[in-house]
Amino acid sequence: MNIWEKMLNVDRRWIFLLIGIACIVPFFIPLGLPILPSAEVIGIYDHIEGLGPDNAIFVGFDFDPGTAAENMPMGVAVLRHAFARNIPVFVTAYTPLGQGMAAMAVEELTNESSADYFEYVNWEDWAAIREQGITDRAGIEEAWTAEGNSLPENARGWIFEGRDIALLGYLPYFHLVILGMSSSIASQFPTDIGGTPLEEMPMYQEHKSLREIDLAVTNAGSSACVAWITYGREKIGLPVAFGVTAVMATDYYIYIQSGQTVGQMGGLRGAAEYEVLLHDNGYSKEYGKAFVGMDVQNIAHLLIIFLVVIGNIAFFAGGFNKKTKLKGRR
Amino acid sequence: MTETIGLWVAALFTIGIYSFLYKENPLYRLSEHLVVGISTGFGIAVTYAQVLKPKLIEPILSGEPNAWLLFVPAILGILYITRFFPSVGWLSRYPMAFLMGAGMGIGFPLQMKAQVLRQLEASLIPLYETGMSWDIALGNVVMVLGTLAALIYFFFSKPHKGPFFGTGSKIGIWVIMVGFGATFGFTVMGRISLLIGRIQFLLGDWLHIIK
Repeated sequence: MNIWEKMLNVDRRWIFLLIGIACIVPFFIPLGLPILPSAEVIGIYDHIEGLGPDNAIFVGFDFDPGTAAENMPMGVAVLRHAFARNIPVFVTAYTPLGQGMAAMAVEELTNESSADYFEYVNWEDWAAIREQGITDRAGIEEAWTAEGNSLPENARGWIFEGRDIALLGYLPYFHLVILGMSSSIASQFPTDIGGTPLEEMPMYQEHKSLREIDLAVTNAGSSACVAWITYGREKIGLPVAFGVTAVMATDYYIYIQSGQTVGQMGGLRGAAEYEVLLHDNGYSKEYGKAFVGMDVQNIAHLLIIFLVVIGNIAFFAGGFNKKTKLKGRR
Repeated sequence: MTETIGLWVAALFTIGIYSFLYKENPLYRLSEHLVVGISTGFGIAVTYAQVLKPKLIEPILSGEPNAWLLFVPAILGILYITRFFPSVGWLSRYPMAFLMGAGMGIGFPLQMKAQVLRQLEASLIPLYETGMSWDIALGNVVMVLGTLAALIYFFFSKPHKGPFFGTGSKIGIWVIMVGFGATFGFTVMGRISLLIGRIQFLLGDWLHIIK
């Protein structure tokens, strides 16, 4: 067995080890490689930037833990942007496990130990303010602080349950749920996952159907994007944006070209680009997990390119393109 | 305390799954089976709490007006289970037939609009207009010719010979290959991203070595 053949027959576990090392070392020696936001990510950011407390959006956590590494940072970034701008957010899930993912994202944004966290105010805690008939966002915050509540130093803002967020959760046959919500959101989700009636929520009283919603962002590892496009965009003209796994990204670029979506975040890179936009525009002091991960991603890609080149050199230099079969394990 | 236990369990099973890269072993098999089992169990629990209980059981038990109508989807749903009993398995065809019929009726017009007509419309673009920058014009030409070439490749009623069908199908193959290449590149990025996510969990959330 000559050197070329040995190279092509190398035990694949050495390759796994190399990739493992390449994915660990950059965490300790950050390179800080620049990430430039693409037009399709800027499209989503600009759309949300144009919204405020009088608007409302849907954010779908339409993925399972298997793709959380890619989809979760997207969902967290979009939620952070919406919360910072006091935009009411209806959170849904296309799969049962997606409901858990949504809860984890909210937990991450409201965890006191994380930078720029949001102070979560439970539905019951601001009942007295609702009883006074105050439902507008600025009025609620004013009344809340007048009650003696102050924002902790490292917190970015308040999230009032029922005014800023409604965790609606999972329902099966979600394309039919989207159709139903085009008439009434409460017809599909009479309560949130905590059992609070939607009819009582100020955010629902101002936005009763999908026709009164200004954007649906689906963070998907599944076919949820097609459901939102088909039954949301085409049926009632709802603006839709995607956050998709890298594997799915090329399949969904066609919707950008056709103008059916306002933008798309593709894989970890898309999430990192959104984090860069949030950071550069003062919505967060620190970059998120996706940005940190992209340094690692770049090094891993360089290693993979190097291995592909080396493998091809060995293949052609060894004359294996003229032989039908390699010796050894291959 | 419960959070710490959760972290350790998650870390143990992450390592268990990645141990397959060395070779198959009992810890990997246990982890794999638990993923399937727990996902299914969680799905059943959420479906019961979010769907069956509030939308079927509670309205019937509380005697809501017209609650009897709910027996129709309930019976259709139960008929699915007859697949497990060969003698009455044929009954499961009725809910399937209902779903297929309803799905086609509801979905077909919108699917045609979203997936075919809109895409067709997006392909009918001017190759060049006055004032259009050269890169946009070039992109339009590549997009239109690429779409036509790929369609020619999938046109099998004529032999792929001659300047139109022969050359067109060859260009079509190249266009499709470029598409596959882009998809493969994204797939590699996706797989590495998943590994990065787990390493962030192990080194950050579990061991607190990185931020």
